[in-house]
Amino acid sequence: MDCGTCETPDSVQVVTPEVVNVNLTISSKAQEMLGNAFGDDRSMALLVGVLSGGCSGYVYDLQIVESTDQSCQEVVIDGFKVLIPNASSHLLDGIEIDYVDRLMGGGFRINNPNAESSCGCGESFA
Amino acid sequence: MPRVAYDDSALTVWQGSDALKFIDGLSSNKMLDMVKGELCQTVFTSSQAKIIDLATVFHMGDFLAVHSHRSKLTALLNHVTPRILNQDVAILDVTSRNQFCIEYDCSNSVVGRFELKDDITYGYVAEGFSLLIASVDVECTCVGGIIEFNEWRIENQIPWNGYEISEKQHPLSAGLAHLVHPNKGCYIGQEILARMISRGRQGKILLRIENGDIDDKFVTTHGEKYSLAIIRDTRQ
Repeated sequence: MDCGTCETPDSVQVVTPEVVNVNLTISSKAQEMLGNAFGDDRSMALLVGVLSGGCSGYVYDLQIVESTDQSCQEVVIDGFKVLIPNASSHLLDGIEIDYVDRLMGGGFRINNPNAESSCGCGESFA
Repeated sequence: MPRVAYDDSALTVWQGSDALKFIDGLSSNKMLDMVKGELCQTVFTSSQAKIIDLATVFHMGDFLAVHSHRSKLTALLNHVTPRILNQDVAILDVTSRNQFCIEYDCSNSVVGRFELKDDITYGYVAEGFSLLIASVDVECTCVGGIIEFNEWRIENQIPWNGYEISEKQHPLSAGLAHLVHPNKGCYIGQEILARMISRGRQGKILLRIENGDIDDKFVTTHGEKYSLAIIRDTRQ
């Protein structure tokens, strides 16, 4: 098998979507819950990213971080710093970060106008 | 053992620390436990659980070599590349550097591994056949005919790309149920396949039938006396 890894064969062309300036909103309930999570320390940021996987092809990736190596755009809403990786910005423009208060299946939830479909758990979308 | 050329082959190299997780998240078989020297087949499926392509993944240590099909490579890459996003995955197409053939009617004692013999990589895909990949510079003789190979496939009920394995079928109807892992997390098409399995309703199944027993339109591989066909399972 010649894997060409000793040389540099051409990479498969990956179409990189254009970076979009993301507009997003955070519901009042989500802001309350973020306030509980962050406390008074607003130096941390909420990273809202997208990974491949899940029943529908993409899954949301929410993390509280100090910083990240990813190329991100920063949005500040009511003192909360939100980081959006540029690589997934085209999938996240217009989202609302919400919080669903339920014993089962509760937690942060993304309402995404770009999603054609999403799976039952709400973590995956297409 | 007889060999037959496997011209509708594609070979891509998937590099990066997220490559294995990436394939695992988009296909039907469990890949995360793979280690260097192992191979595993998996099926990339659409949101309707239809087959995009069957892939044979070779764990090479630092990277993965993925055998798929030339006729479906564009569809496969269109499916996966938009989902790389900011993950550490890079894909190289090395198809033109290699030649491919199938050695069949084997009795492979080890399945799911590969080894290098005389500059040819022998991938022990199943007990009965191996996938051979070699650089185009290496002598690798594949003189067998497709008719004999198809007769062997019919005898052993082995589905093949372009015959049973097509974008019209889902893995269960195409005879690839063994590549749908029952205990793995979500991937595209998983909900539909899981529902079919749990309800015992997969619609169509792959069968070996005697010629003339059923309408020709259901036949996927024609043989001299017997054929392979995908038909609705009347027991359901």
